[in-house]
Amino acid sequence: MKLFETLKKGAVAAASSYKLILLIWATTMVSAIAVGYPLKSFLNIIFGNSMAMERFTDGFDIGLAGDIGRPLGGLMAAVSAGTLLYSFIGLLIMTFFAGGLFRRFTMSWGGLTVSEFLKASANNFIPFLKLALIMMLVIGAFTFIIIGLPVIIIMAVSGRNMPGGTSLYPLWAVWALGMPVWIFVADASRRWIAATGSRKTFRAIGAGFRALKEKFWLSYGTVLVVVLINSAFIAIAFWYAITKTPDRGIMIFLFFLFTQLLVILRLFMKAWRYASVCEAGSSR
Amino acid sequence: MRKCILVLMLAVPFAMSGQIVVDAPLSDRLTGYDINAVLNPESHIVSGSMSAWWVNNSSQPVAEAMMHMYLNAFSSNKTSFSSGGRWTASGDEGWGWVKIRTMTDDEGNDLSGSMNYVSPDDGNEDDRTVLRLDLPEPVEPGDTLKLMITFDSRLPSPIVRTGYADDFFFVAQWFPKFGVYETAGMRQREADGWNCHQFHPHSEFYANHSVYNVSVTLPDEYVAGSGGKLIEEIDLGNNLKKVVWRAEDIVDFAWTAWPEYKVLTRKWKNVDITLLTSEKGLSKADAQFEAVMYALEYLGEKVGPYPWPHLTFVDPPIIGAGSGGMEYTTLFTSMGGGVVPSFLKISEMVTIHEFGHAYFMGIMASNEFEEPWLDEGINSYWEQRIVDHYYGNGYGLLRLSFLKISDTDQGRLGYIASPSRSVSTNDLPSWMYPHNTYSMMSYNKAATWLHTLEGIIGTATMDDVFREYYRRWSFRHPSGQDFIAVVNDVVRKEHGDSFGENMNWFFDQVLYGNGICDYRLSGITVKKIRSYSGVIDGDSVTYTSSDRKSDTLYLSRVSIERIGEVTLPLEILIGFDNGDEVMETWDGKGSYKDFEYTGTRQAVWAKIDPLDKLDLDVNRINNSWAEKPKHPASRRMMDKLVFYMQMLISIFTI
Repeated sequence: MKLFETLKKGAVAAASSYKLILLIWATTMVSAIAVGYPLKSFLNIIFGNSMAMERFTDGFDIGLAGDIGRPLGGLMAAVSAGTLLYSFIGLLIMTFFAGGLFRRFTMSWGGLTVSEFLKASANNFIPFLKLALIMMLVIGAFTFIIIGLPVIIIMAVSGRNMPGGTSLYPLWAVWALGMPVWIFVADASRRWIAATGSRKTFRAIGAGFRALKEKFWLSYGTVLVVVLINSAFIAIAFWYAITKTPDRGIMIFLFFLFTQLLVILRLFMKAWRYASVCEAGSSR
Repeated sequence: MRKCILVLMLAVPFAMSGQIVVDAPLSDRLTGYDINAVLNPESHIVSGSMSAWWVNNSSQPVAEAMMHMYLNAFSSNKTSFSSGGRWTASGDEGWGWVKIRTMTDDEGNDLSGSMNYVSPDDGNEDDRTVLRLDLPEPVEPGDTLKLMITFDSRLPSPIVRTGYADDFFFVAQWFPKFGVYETAGMRQREADGWNCHQFHPHSEFYANHSVYNVSVTLPDEYVAGSGGKLIEEIDLGNNLKKVVWRAEDIVDFAWTAWPEYKVLTRKWKNVDITLLTSEKGLSKADAQFEAVMYALEYLGEKVGPYPWPHLTFVDPPIIGAGSGGMEYTTLFTSMGGGVVPSFLKISEMVTIHEFGHAYFMGIMASNEFEEPWLDEGINSYWEQRIVDHYYGNGYGLLRLSFLKISDTDQGRLGYIASPSRSVSTNDLPSWMYPHNTYSMMSYNKAATWLHTLEGIIGTATMDDVFREYYRRWSFRHPSGQDFIAVVNDVVRKEHGDSFGENMNWFFDQVLYGNGICDYRLSGITVKKIRSYSGVIDGDSVTYTSSDRKSDTLYLSRVSIERIGEVTLPLEILIGFDNGDEVMETWDGKGSYKDFEYTGTRQAVWAKIDPLDKLDLDVNRINNSWAEKPKHPASRRMMDKLVFYMQMLISIFTI
């Protein structure tokens, strides 16, 4: 019951922050378009007045890729470099706005104006960035210990190739069950920074672990539920975006709108996690 | 050696062969092998005693014999096969070789002193893959040379086509095997002589259709299979068994053994199909059988009947992956079963391809060493037709809602994307292709120009070409010239001189030439000629002054250029602003061609080769031109990329 209440309060808090979420969405969209738009221009330049792009109408025809010739290499390099660049920018953007969101969810009263939100984001940016990098390293190490190490051992002992997918299911299950712990610690640590104004990252992580210990099942359960729902949503969203191939102007525009709606929902669900963790930490 | 009268000698092989597998001999059966072999899994050695015979069907006495000693390709890193770091043994136990312990004729004369190794292709003295046997007495026309040989074959590791990995054995190219004695005129040869090439990285077969009686003794926990019909399996006690096979009219005999094989069988019409696979491969078994049956059906209908009542194929486990994707006529190996996702038809493609070799070098036993396009190119062409016919509605290899590729385009891609696509002609011996272009030339380019040939002469005529090729050359040894002669005869019969006196102009460019084909639609220009009112005749249409839109006359010019050296007849489809479409043709020989239209309509788009008949054209993007091209796909791609990036940063950031 307490879990449900926590999730419900988290959802309400996230929903009430819709202006902030829309601001994050707009920022990610503009920056992604800045990377993606040259791709469109590049393709249009390559094809020029050719009608060959009609062959891409119902999906990408790999058979035509060879006809592009040398520009294809440039195109792939541009997409790769753009995606890499955007990943870095994205890390900064999401870390920045997480600072504002946690501030919003740790306030016991009212909301934040946009300028207050940006100010809080800026205040928390450096410690949040440090914490994000540390936690990403921790999660990487956790993944290596749970998945990578056993695979290496199996390969070394058997002298054979990498074990197949199904034989790794138990390891992935352990990994999936362990992940909410680290996510909660990361979120609770940031809650502590946002609430106290401290910039001490390792003390924040300590506070995160203490919060987990104090209310383990509520904390773990909250994150587990939110992560499961998020995962299902992400899978559905990707399935939609990958499989749909609109081929006319208005349909493509509607597709763009709908995929952006999915991004907004995804951002809302991420905010829901932040808010729920903050609620779990403050609940009695 | 024994000399007897011609009739008696010709009767010898027949008596040796008998009929067990097929109702009547399919081939001349100039060679045959009776082999008793023992597999020692610990030493990875197959010890054999063999009786091999060859009939001199020429009109001249023959004083020497040539034999392939394939496994010696793996004996050191200085052989023609492994030099240059292309293969090396996995430790001392990994080197492979075949050693003749004794060799006698059927009168017991020791011939071991008459053996010496030769390297007819490259003079490499470290290569011992061709054995020449100087006979004490020539084999007279019609006589039979019979050899009794005992040999040891140590299998190599890692596996490349043949070898072992742990307890997995794929035993191919493992015994001393006669080359082909070619008579004058055969494959345009000027004089009689042996055709026996060294073992190169990219050459595999050229052999007579033979009869094989093979028995293998091995530990009884092993499951074994081969290209022969299983005659019996005998329990020898002491945890040993003997497996006896017989094969008729095939060009090579290979076998495999592994304790963990799962054996499945199906029947298609009169053909018993056996699949040896791994536990993991079981999930793919139905798809693999289906692929074989598709190929049997398609090739049976379009080329000729599959003549044997059996075939065995292997989906090797990962440890034996090096044996995958090979053909031994009635035995072939696929790959990837149980690992490749079902939406990707790679395993099916390999299965169909390797099965197809039963026709192209199995039945039509061309010389793969000297003319690899004649089996790999033709077989790839048919594989692509089959895969794209049965799977994915034209996109046989991969057909998802967002991503697609046809098998035909996959092959074409290998050719057009190669920077070395013009480095040589397409008729070189397999070991002579420069700059690693063997696969691109033998498989991809050849298949691509065969599709182009189909586009020019039509699918029905192409099918008739192969039916005639099968009729003339099954169980014989055709050359490229023989294939071209079939094409010329069939095309002339069905199309007269529509394509010229013969089709040599085509083969001269694509097979014996190294040019590329590229036509470009350089643009459409439209000029207003004059305004008018009243009634005029233009473009066979009568316009009136009341038709306000039609009171202007235009000159539309569609300009085409030939960029490549290859000239092919073209179709050009031109679209006008009033919705009219006009199909034009051009012989493609000049460096450019303009099509002009005067009238009230304006040309707004045009496409060269609108039906994609000319796969050889290396750039299809420049084959069309539109005044206002529609690029919705690029917008959609950008939208998707933006979405993926936004989602990914929301996932991978805490």
